Amino acid sequence: MSTETDAVSEPTDSGSTSSRIHLGSILTVAKKDFQDAVRSWLFWGLSVLFFLLLVGIAGALSYFGEDIAAQGATTDALVFLVSQVTKWIVPLIALILGWKSIAGERESGSVKILLSLPHSRKDVVIGKLLGRSAVLSVSLTVGFVLAAALVAAFLGGFDIVDYGGLLVMSMTYGMAYTSIAVSLSSLTRSTTIAGAAMFCVFLLFYVVWNSLGVIFRLLGEREFLFFDTVTYTQEFQGQEMMAERRQDWTYFITNLDPGQAYNRGLTFLTDVDLLEQGSTTSAQMFGGELPIYLNDWFSFMILLFWIVVPLGIGLYRFDRVDI
Amino acid sequence: MPAITVDNLTKSFGQTLALDDLSFRVKEGEVFGFLGPNGAGKSTTINIVLDFARPTDGSVSVLGMDAQRNSRDIRQRTGVLPEGVKTYDRLTARQHLEFAINSKNANDEPEALLERVGLEDAIDRKAGGFSKGMSQRLMLAMALVGKPDLLILDEPSTGLDPNGAREMRDLVREENERGATVFFSSHIMEQVEEVCDRVGILRDGEMVAVDSVEGLRDSVSGGTSLRVTVDRIDDAALQAVRSLQDVTRATVKGEDPPTIVASVNGSKTAVLSTLEDHGIEIQDFQTTESSLEDVFRSYTTGTRPEVHAQ
Repeated sequence: MSTETDAVSEPTDSGSTSSRIHLGSILTVAKKDFQDAVRSWLFWGLSVLFFLLLVGIAGALSYFGEDIAAQGATTDALVFLVSQVTKWIVPLIALILGWKSIAGERESGSVKILLSLPHSRKDVVIGKLLGRSAVLSVSLTVGFVLAAALVAAFLGGFDIVDYGGLLVMSMTYGMAYTSIAVSLSSLTRSTTIAGAAMFCVFLLFYVVWNSLGVIFRLLGEREFLFFDTVTYTQEFQGQEMMAERRQDWTYFITNLDPGQAYNRGLTFLTDVDLLEQGSTTSAQMFGGELPIYLNDWFSFMILLFWIVVPLGIGLYRFDRVDI
Repeated sequence: MPAITVDNLTKSFGQTLALDDLSFRVKEGEVFGFLGPNGAGKSTTINIVLDFARPTDGSVSVLGMDAQRNSRDIRQRTGVLPEGVKTYDRLTARQHLEFAINSKNANDEPEALLERVGLEDAIDRKAGGFSKGMSQRLMLAMALVGKPDLLILDEPSTGLDPNGAREMRDLVREENERGATVFFSSHIMEQVEEVCDRVGILRDGEMVAVDSVEGLRDSVSGGTSLRVTVDRIDDAALQAVRSLQDVTRATVKGEDPPTIVASVNGSKTAVLSTLEDHGIEIQDFQTTESSLEDVFRSYTTGTRPEVHAQ
């Protein structure tokens, strides 16, 4: 008992010693969660999926893409095409992986096994996030590594930086969605409600957020409230032209989409030209200098935001509820 | 220092009052049986002791520490067998135990723990294929990790056959002899009867009795009941039996042959010798202790006036 010196120091509710974070506990929970998931067909299914995706696209490029190969841009094309697919399926996989992470354990009662042992609730939430992220990250890595030799054979060599950049970016992107999924899962005891929440997240980013740009544009053209468009001069084929764009802050909103951040992050990490051409904003639109939030590196801040903020909400809430 | 101190604990879920001003103590080193019908509030109490749920009012301290503030330290020194819980389907028995051992920084061997609960043959099998009884044994083994000072067993006999239930009671005794305090909940009286030093009976969120097993028995029926079958009976002999100091009550049942039913607190031979002194021939006699099930029923059903906890 004499060792329990910190037991008396913290009388406040939120800062109590039992709700502190303990790294050893987090890793133990993460390891258990990873073991629990890694044995399921889902993990191997995912690895195979990523493997087939890479090999399939590389194979198709080598078969149909003689022009691309002639320009030496085969890795560019591979990274571009693969990222267009992963942009859609990584969130889906992360949401499915994280869906039951905590709600499922509360529903079956096995969360009591975790919490009977000396782990704080925060340890459980963070451990779950790390465990589930690891499942996605490891299956991505397995798929990418196994595919590397075949991709190289198909394309006749590849750019390791672009390939690695795609892998790292996909892992970060997956972690952001895993954080959203695990946090939502920690807010409820019902896997049905958790599932519905995952579906809403999916709709929010895939449908709603994707149409926000168009909606803002339309509202701007109608000079609706504060959505009024901004006029700027653009050089086009040596001539100065007037053009219109949306308000600055609407670009900030549309860029908060993790999928946008994924694209921009890839542009930053790799030198794939195809990705840059896809960009709809340019410095010219903002009088020569992009606002900070439209810089490619800023997309890492956005992904960090999507990892930290949901996690923070999950940590706060899960610490206070009855299990 | 008590192992568990519950003071004026109240817990409500919306409009429902699950625990109403509950107070009791579990002494260090004892086996305490926590009894009550399903829905009496046993699990709610255990949930608050383990900080799975937060009290509406009142306080709980475990091993001298506040159950909310120092829950991690408490759980480091406590082994828990939670009720109605599924083990992890895809993890083997060994992985379950390794998880518990790593979580507590203990140095137990999974093999040795599984041997104690009779599950050593299933060590590398996944828990998904386990029967309910096997899962229960596995969780009991997890509760033993790290030689806990306090064992909290919530309905530990769930899913166990009579043999398994007996082995479980043996384990409780072993752990108690090692020095662990055992807090043991059940809705079946006879399971706690054999191993518990004291029993607390919970009803509708209130403790209606806390006593030793013998004490509870006495409080309900006035002790042992003696049934003597005789060839005949007369009033003088019956009066003589009734006037004995240890006899609280004596009635005659049946006629051919008559049977005397007497409640006796002390010497039973006094009853027999008194009858013989009156020239009555004893054909047969038997003693029955009031079953704890009767005690339990009398406390948890009907409108018997409440006996308040100490």
